[in-house]
Amino acid sequence: MRTRQLLITASSALLISSTVWAQAGAKPGAGQSLPVAVSSASAESLLHGGPAAWNQIAVKRVALNRTPPLYDTDEPATLEIPSVDIRTARAGGKLLVQLSWRDPTRDAIALAEVPTTPPETRFRKVQTEADDRFFDAAAVMFPSRSGTGAIAPSLQMGDAEQPVEIYYWNATRGPMLMQAQGRGTTRRTGQDFPANGTYQGGQWDVIFELPDLPANTTVAFAVWNGSQKDRDGRKYFSVWQVLQ
Amino acid sequence: MSKHQYAMVMDLNKCLGCQTCTIACKKLWTDRDGTGYMYWNNVETRPGLGYPRQWDRIGGGWKDGSLQPSPLPTMDDYGHAWEYNYEQRLYEGKKQPVMPSPEPKSGCNWDEDVGGMNEDENYFFYLPRICNHCTHPACLEACPRKAIYKREEDGIVVIDQDRCQGYRYCIKACPYKKIYFNEVTGKSEKCIFCYPRLEKGQVNACAAQCPGRLRFVGLLDDPESPVHKLVLVHKIALPLFPEKGTQPNVFYVPPFNPPKRENYGNSIQEDPRVPLDYLIYLFGPQVKDVMVRLEAELKKTQEGGRSEALQLLIGRDAETRFHVRPEFVQIQL
Repeated sequence: MRTRQLLITASSALLISSTVWAQAGAKPGAGQSLPVAVSSASAESLLHGGPAAWNQIAVKRVALNRTPPLYDTDEPATLEIPSVDIRTARAGGKLLVQLSWRDPTRDAIALAEVPTTPPETRFRKVQTEADDRFFDAAAVMFPSRSGTGAIAPSLQMGDAEQPVEIYYWNATRGPMLMQAQGRGTTRRTGQDFPANGTYQGGQWDVIFELPDLPANTTVAFAVWNGSQKDRDGRKYFSVWQVLQ
Repeated sequence: MSKHQYAMVMDLNKCLGCQTCTIACKKLWTDRDGTGYMYWNNVETRPGLGYPRQWDRIGGGWKDGSLQPSPLPTMDDYGHAWEYNYEQRLYEGKKQPVMPSPEPKSGCNWDEDVGGMNEDENYFFYLPRICNHCTHPACLEACPRKAIYKREEDGIVVIDQDRCQGYRYCIKACPYKKIYFNEVTGKSEKCIFCYPRLEKGQVNACAAQCPGRLRFVGLLDDPESPVHKLVLVHKIALPLFPEKGTQPNVFYVPPFNPPKRENYGNSIQEDPRVPLDYLIYLFGPQVKDVMVRLEAELKKTQEGGRSEALQLLIGRDAETRFHVRPEFVQIQL
């Protein structure tokens, strides 16, 4: 059974366009270069300063791909978010990255606050309001170790030789720092990072504060669309880009 | 394949639908935030909607070696959990009656005792359900996080709450819809077969509390256990929906009511109270053989003989019904 499943997974992976596939194991080409502005503004003002802080920063439109169906229980999904706009700036010893994408539905909720008193001492418990909703999310992935040579990590959550850091932001649950070394190995570190997501006029603008990654670092992006029941590997992803 | 397998047999002829098992389970395991709608153990009226409603027709399980698609049940299918305004009444001196909120519109065993019609007569029986701790669990296979595992020492299927990310592929894959999503923790939960109790030699809370004494617990591979005898020796207990392909380890003795009319000396198969087609729907075609066996055992006692199978089903004391063997299933470290 497992062998069969692996074969299915492997053959599905081949469905990813050859351009994408070539990324796993090779250094990205010139077309994947990502401009990085140097800003005199503080990291804080870029994070929370609103659109005005980002207007002067060059934008790069990065194509998104849809992962092929990974599981037998999955419904097929269409490409509703074809691209994500990336703006990148160095400021105050940090690298700030803004991901902007069009999404007609804002899939996010305000989770009820859970009292600190034990549930058995309360008349009321916090209830599960719905079991079938999924939330918009985005992530930036880059190699855990910089300067590891000419070969980029596997796009599928890195690999054993080249682990990756995943800065993940969820519209409901907020930012979480994850690490992985290959598909199925992603784990939460328990740490978070500064991030700010706003939704206005059918568009998400999510700003990530990353460590100040050196030039030539490879970075990749992912977007999850809650209304398409995205979670896990069911998502949109970009190929590796290279920071200038 | 686990070294041993805990299993449960439930004799549906003895279930009175009192929900004591449901409450025993709820007070012990799901009296937490986010778990209001969860019934790791529930008792539903059959024929009926079930919990979540129409779970038996949603999908999931295996077919030709592949997991079958299924939507997630919605909160309308479960019925939104409600709370009562006890605090106003008991502490704040308000005179209004104690009322549930939000207004209950559906819930566990919502269609209690409605049942179905067999020609001109109403019939129903109760079906208690827990996780089936399957030998070939669809939930385990569906989880991309490998958060679900089957304990090697006793075959109990559990979800590692540290690994679970709340993706809910398991809920879709489970043909019995016995996994629940906790939105407060963002993780999925299910019946753990009371393994912390079993490890201390105590039987499952649902089984211990059952006033109808209809639950039998033990290791399927222990020849001394009642479940081994009922399932493998007497062959009078069957899993639910065997065609879903997960090989459940919870088994049922099918309802075996006397014939509808002129029952003395007549076979139940000539004039069944519960239509045989419905029992075949639930337990597969093997249920016919079980009926024949049960009827033969009954005849034996009616003729003054002794039936080991029926004596066991009576299950007078805990020693007969439960055979918990913590010393037997310990892992050799």
